[in-house]
Amino acid sequence: MSAIAFYVATIIVYGAVDSMACLALNVQFGFAGLSNFGFIIFQAGGAYVAAVLSMGPWQKSNEGFQQYVLGWHLAWPLPWIGAALFGGLLALPFVFLVGKRLRGDFAAVGLLVSAVLLNQLVNNFVPLFNGAAGISIVPAPFSHYLNPQGLGYQFAYGGVAVVLTVLVYFLLRRVTESPYGRSLRAMRDNDIVADALGKNVRVQRTSMLILGGMIAGLSGAILVGFINLWAPGAWGYAETIVLFAAIIVGGAGNHKGAVLGALLVPLAFEEVTRFIPPLSNPALVPALEWVAIGLLIIGFLWFRPDGILPERRRILSGSKSSMPKPVPFSGESDSLINLGNLDQMDFRQLLRLEGDASDHGIILSTDRLTRAFHGVTVVSEVSIEFQRGRLTGLIGPNGAGKSTTLAMLAGTLAPTSGKVLYEGRDITSMPSNERAKSGMIRTFQLASEFKKLTVLENLVSAIPRQSGDSFVGALRGRRFWGRDDAENIERASEMLEGFGLTEYADSYAGGLSGGQRRLVEIMRALLAQPTILLLDEPMAGVHPNLAHKIGDQLTRLVASGMTIVMVEHELAIMDAFCDPVIVLAEGRVLAQGTMSELRAMKEVVEAYLVG
Amino acid sequence: MSVFLSSLGFGLISAAVLAIATVGFTMQFAVTNVLNLAYGSVMINSAFVTYYLNYHAHLNAWVSMIGGVLTGAIASYLLNRFVFTPFQRRNLPPITIVIVALGVDLCGTFGLQAIVGGSYFSYKQSLGRELHFWGMYLSTLQLIIIGICVVVMGLIHWLLKYTRLGKAMRATSANASLARNSGIRTQRVISSTWLISGALCGLAGTVFAMNTGVFEATSAQLYIVLLLAAMFLGGPGSAYGAMLGALTIGVATELSAGYFNPEYKEVIAFVVLLGMLTFRPYGLFGSEKTI
Repeated sequence: MSAIAFYVATIIVYGAVDSMACLALNVQFGFAGLSNFGFIIFQAGGAYVAAVLSMGPWQKSNEGFQQYVLGWHLAWPLPWIGAALFGGLLALPFVFLVGKRLRGDFAAVGLLVSAVLLNQLVNNFVPLFNGAAGISIVPAPFSHYLNPQGLGYQFAYGGVAVVLTVLVYFLLRRVTESPYGRSLRAMRDNDIVADALGKNVRVQRTSMLILGGMIAGLSGAILVGFINLWAPGAWGYAETIVLFAAIIVGGAGNHKGAVLGALLVPLAFEEVTRFIPPLSNPALVPALEWVAIGLLIIGFLWFRPDGILPERRRILSGSKSSMPKPVPFSGESDSLINLGNLDQMDFRQLLRLEGDASDHGIILSTDRLTRAFHGVTVVSEVSIEFQRGRLTGLIGPNGAGKSTTLAMLAGTLAPTSGKVLYEGRDITSMPSNERAKSGMIRTFQLASEFKKLTVLENLVSAIPRQSGDSFVGALRGRRFWGRDDAENIERASEMLEGFGLTEYADSYAGGLSGGQRRLVEIMRALLAQPTILLLDEPMAGVHPNLAHKIGDQLTRLVASGMTIVMVEHELAIMDAFCDPVIVLAEGRVLAQGTMSELRAMKEVVEAYLVG
Repeated sequence: MSVFLSSLGFGLISAAVLAIATVGFTMQFAVTNVLNLAYGSVMINSAFVTYYLNYHAHLNAWVSMIGGVLTGAIASYLLNRFVFTPFQRRNLPPITIVIVALGVDLCGTFGLQAIVGGSYFSYKQSLGRELHFWGMYLSTLQLIIIGICVVVMGLIHWLLKYTRLGKAMRATSANASLARNSGIRTQRVISSTWLISGALCGLAGTVFAMNTGVFEATSAQLYIVLLLAAMFLGGPGSAYGAMLGALTIGVATELSAGYFNPEYKEVIAFVVLLGMLTFRPYGLFGSEKTI
C-alpha cells in the first residue's frame, strides 16, 4: 500500500517539474516565437547550482569520491533561489544568438549545438562537475522538519512543487495576457514588422530567455532536491526535444496546453514504459520510446498543428458573440469594401497629431544615399528632401530602387554609404525600432499582418507608449494597465469603425482578404502615431475603387499635418494624390516635381516606357 | 613536428569524410532551404545497409558501399518528397521544418536501434597496409577514402560548373521563383538534388563507419555538429564553402586533439559554429546563400 503512495508522490513531483519546464518553454516558443533548443541547459544548470549550494563544503577526506564547486551548505529555499538566478544568468551568453539579425532556425541550431557540446564538456571535465558520474547525496531540502524517508515528507515535497508550479502558471499568465504579451505574440508572428512598429525585439527576446531560464533553473532545483543526484547523462539535448513534443501535443501558445502536454508526453511516457516487462533486448523499449516521440512531433505538426488545446483567440471588442465573422474567400469582395464613417473622423484628435499643418519645412532628407547588393549598386547617391505635411510620391520602373530607398529611410536596411537626416538630425545609424518610436512608421510591400492576432489586436499592438507594454508593466497587472488598455482598444475600435471593418474585429488577421489586410496594415501604421508615414506600394493588389478611397483619406491625413512618403508605380494614383513626385530610375533621381511637370519631361516618359 | 604531422594525417581523413557529408547537406539547404537535421540518421542507416550486405550477404565492403549509397539517395529523396515538401507547401516557418527534421532524426536513429539493438558493429574489411610518409601514418583504407573524397569533389565541381542540371541547381538556389519563371522545372531540380545529395549522405555514412572501425545505431547522432560547423564556416548553401569548411574543421579538430585533449576535440567545431552564427551567419565569404 505504501509503495503505491510513494509512487504517487513521485509522480506528483515529476508532473510538477515537467509542467513547470513546459510552461517556461511555451512562453519562449509558443508566445515569443523563440525556439530555445538549448532549454535543457538551463534546467541542468539550475539543478547543479541548487545541488552544490545545498551540499557541504567539498573535502578530500570524507566526500572525496566526488568533486564539485561552492558547497555553501545553504538552507532551503536559498539553493532554489540560487538555481533560478543562475538559470537567468545562463541566458546572457545566448543573447547574441537571438538578436533580430539571425534567422530563427539558425539561432535554434546554435542553441541545440550548445546543449550538445556543454553536455559533452561536463561529461569529460571532472574537477568542476565530477564528469559523467555526476554528484550524489544531494541533501534533501526539508530534512530539518520531516524525515526524508517518510511518506509525509514525500507528499509535502510534492505539495511544495505543485504550489510553485501553480505560482509559475499565474505569473506567466500575468505576463502573456497583457499588452506586453500581445507584443510578444506580434514578434512571434512577424519580427521584422514588430520591429518596424517600434518593438525592441532584442530586448523582448532577451527578457523571455531570462524569464524562461529562471523557471527552468527552479524546475531543475526541485527535481535534484527530490532525487538527490545529478548526472549529465540525464540532461541530454534530446530531452529538450521531448519538451518541444509536449508543447506541440498540448498546444503552443496555451498555458493549459503546456501543462497537459507535460503530463501526456514526458510524464506518461516515462511512467507507462516503466511497466513494460523486460525484454531480451534491453535497448528496445527506450529506442521505441524515442521513435514514438519523433512520430508524435511529425504527426501532430501535420494533423493537428495547433495541439490538443489550441491557442485561445482573444476577444477584445467586448462583443458577446464569440463566433468570428466568416471571411470571404475571393479577392473580388475587395471591391465591395466600403470605408465606414471615415470622412467624419477627426484624425488630428484620434491620432494625436501635433504641429502646424501649414508648415511645409523639410522634415526628412537623404544625403548621397547608396546601397549595393553583391557589388550591384541598387541605389546610387540619392539626395532627396521631403516636406512636412505633404504626400510625396516615389515612382519609377521595376528595379529603380524605390523600395530600397524606403527601407533605408525606415532603417530596415542599412545604407552602404550616405546619410539619412530627420529634422536635421543624422539618424543613419539609428535602429529601425527607435526610428519608429520617434515617429517614422513604415508599411511593407508583402502582407505583413500578425496572422494569429485578431484584427483588433493587430491595431492595438501598434499604439506607442502603452503602460502595460513592458515586462515590468505587465507584472504590475491589470490594475496598472487595464484602464490605459481599455482606452487604446476604444481608439482602435474607432479606427476600425471608420474603415468599416468592425465586424472583423475579433477575426484572425491572417484569414482576411488581400484588400482587408492592406487596410489593417494601414490602420495599424496610423495607430502607431507616425509623424512620417512611409508606405511601400499600399495599393498593390487592391481594387481600384478601394485604392481611391484610401488615397482620399491619405490626402486628408496630410491636410491634418502628417507627412507621407508613398512608393507606387501606378501612375493614376500618383496623378490623383501625390505632390510632389520623385522619379527614380536605375538607382538615381531622374526628376522631381508635380505630375503634370513630370509628364512634360521626355526622359521621365522614356524611363517608364523603357523600364 | 611529429605530433603536428600525425594529427594532420588524421585531420585529412576526418576532413575527407566530413567534406562528403557536408557537401550533400549544404546542397539540400541550398535548393530547398531546409536544415535537414535528420541527415545523421540517414547516414547511419546507409552505413548499416552496407554492413548488412557486407556481413550477411558476404559481399566485399566496397561493393556493399553501393547499397549504402543507393539507400542514402532513395531515403533522402523520399524524405523530401513525402515529408519536407508537403510541410513546406503549407508555408510554415523554417523552424517548423527543423522541428520536423528532428522528429525524423529520432525515428530514423532509434528505429534503427530498435532493429539492430545497442551493440557495436564493424565491417569485414581489412585496413590494409599502414603507410608511413612525411611523418603521417595512414592505412590503405584511409588513403582510399581520401581518394574517394577527391574524386567526388571533382564530380561535384563538374556537375555544378559544366552541366545543365548544375546550372539549374545554382539558379534554383539563388532564386527559386525566378528560376521557375525562367522555365526551369524546379521541382525536378529539387528531386535530383535530393537524390544526389542523398547519395553523398549514404557514401558519407559508409566511409564514416569504415573510418571509425566500430559503430552503433547512435554513432552519427552528434556528427551533425561537425557538419553544421563546416557548413556555416563556408557559408550555408555553398558547395565549395562546404569543402573548405570541412577541410578546416577536420584538420582543426584533429590538431586540437593532438595538442590538447582528444576528449575536447569537438569543442573547436563548437566555437567555430557559434562564432560564425554570431558574426558571419552567411559564411566567411558569402553574404547570402549561393551554391
